[in-house]
Amino acid sequence: MSTLLLGWLAAVGLAAGLVMGFGVAPREVTQGNVQRIMYLHVPAVWVAYLAFTVGLIASITYLAQRRPGADRLAHAACEVGTVFLGVNIATGAIWGKPTWGTWWTWDARLTSVAVVFVMFLAYLLLRGAIEDHERGARYAAVLAIVAALNIPLVHFSVYWWRTLHQPPSLLKPGSSTMPAVIVTALLVNFVALALLGAYFVARRARLLAVEEEALA
Amino acid sequence: MPDNWAYVIAAYGLAVAVFGAYWLRLGRREREAAALAAGWRDRAARAARPGPPAARPETTPTGPASRAPRP
Amino acid sequence: MLPGLLWLGFILSGVLGLGRAFLVEHENDCWEALLLAPGDKSAIYLGKLTGSLVLMLVVEALVLALFVLFFNVDLGPALPALALVIGLGTVGIAAVGTLFAAMTAQVRARELLFPVLLLPVLVPVLLGTVKATEALLLREPLAAVAHWLKLLIAADVVYLAIGFLTFDVILEG
Repeated sequence: MSTLLLGWLAAVGLAAGLVMGFGVAPREVTQGNVQRIMYLHVPAVWVAYLAFTVGLIASITYLAQRRPGADRLAHAACEVGTVFLGVNIATGAIWGKPTWGTWWTWDARLTSVAVVFVMFLAYLLLRGAIEDHERGARYAAVLAIVAALNIPLVHFSVYWWRTLHQPPSLLKPGSSTMPAVIVTALLVNFVALALLGAYFVARRARLLAVEEEALA
Repeated sequence: MPDNWAYVIAAYGLAVAVFGAYWLRLGRREREAAALAAGWRDRAARAARPGPPAARPETTPTGPASRAPRP
Repeated sequence: MLPGLLWLGFILSGVLGLGRAFLVEHENDCWEALLLAPGDKSAIYLGKLTGSLVLMLVVEALVLALFVLFFNVDLGPALPALALVIGLGTVGIAAVGTLFAAMTAQVRARELLFPVLLLPVLVPVLLGTVKATEALLLREPLAAVAHWLKLLIAADVVYLAIGFLTFDVILEG
C-alpha cells in the first residue's frame, strides 16, 4: 500500500522537520524564537504551489487524454494545495502579530497569496456546484489551468503595485542571505510537508475513485 | 525581542488542528464510501443468488444506501 | 482614488454584462443548439467575446465621459494612451469573462459563482489598469507605464489563448 508508505515517510519527515526547526536551528537574533514559525509557514506555501503545479499538469492531461485518474489527481492536488495555503496564511498572521504588530497587512506577498487562495477556493466551489461528474471534471480542468497560469501574473502585478513609482529592476523582492543551518532546516521541513502533501493527495484521489465507484 | 512562545505553539497547534481535521475527514469519508460500496455489493450478491422469489417478504429499503441514485 | 473608482465602475458593469452573456441561449433553450453547432467552437468564443467587448467599450466610454464631467478631470493629451490602457484591460476582462460565463451558464448558483470565479482571476488586470490610469492622469509618459502595459498584454495573450484552446471543451455539454 504505497499510500500508507507515504504516510509513514511523512511522519518521519515531520519528526525530522521538528528536530531541525526546534533543536538544530538557532534562536534568531532579531525576532527571537517566534521566528521558528517560519519553518512551518514558508514550506507550506512552497508545497501549496507545488500542488497547484501538479493540478495544472493533471488538468491539461485530463483535457488532452480524458483519463479519469488525471481528473482525480487534479481535484485532489488543488484541494490539498488550498489546505496548505490556508495553513500558510493563518500561520503568517500568527507570526505577523508579535513581529509586525498586526495580524494582517496588504503587502505584496500576503496580498498575492490571498488572491491565489481565493482563486482555488473558487475552484473547489465550482467542483461542488456542478452535479454532472464529467462536465464538472472538464470545467474544473479549464479553471485550474486559468488559475495556475494566473499565479505569476498575480505575483508580478501585486509586487509592482506595492513598489513605489519607478518600474522595478529586479524580478523578485530582494533575497537576503540566510545562514546555511536555517536554509537546511527550511529544506528539511519542505520535504517533510511535501511528503505530507503527497500522502494527502494520494489518499484524496483514492477516496474520489472509491466514491465514484460507490455511486456508479 | 521576547520569545513569544505562545505564538509559536499557536501556529504549530493550528497546523496540527487543520491537518488533523483534514486527515480525520478523509478517514470518515473513506469509511462512508466503503460502507456504500459494501451495501451495493451485498445487494448485487443477494439478487444473483437463486431462491424462491415469492417466499421473501418485500421490505422497503432504508438507510443511506437507498438514497443513492440507482443505475 | 479616482482611477480606482473608474475601474470599479468598469468591472462592475462588466461583471453584470458578462455574467449574462449566455443567458439568451440558456433561457430560450438554445444551449443544445450551441453544442451541436458544426465547425470550430472557438468561432463562437470569438463571436461572444467581440460582442461583449464592443458592449463593454461603449459603456466604458459613457462612464468615462460622466467621470470627466463629475470629477472635472482634464484628460487632454493623455486620452490616446488612456484609450490603449482601457482597451487592453477590457480585452482581458472580456476574454476571461466570456469563458467563465459559458462555464457558469448551466450552473444553478450562476449569479453568485460567476463573480466569485472572475474577480480574483482579474486582479492582475485590475491592478495594472488602475496603476497605468493613475500614472497617465498624472501626465506621466507612456514609457513610465511600460511594465504595466507588458503585463496587460501578457495577461490578454494568456487569457485569449486559454479561451480559444478550451472553449470547445466547455461547449461539449
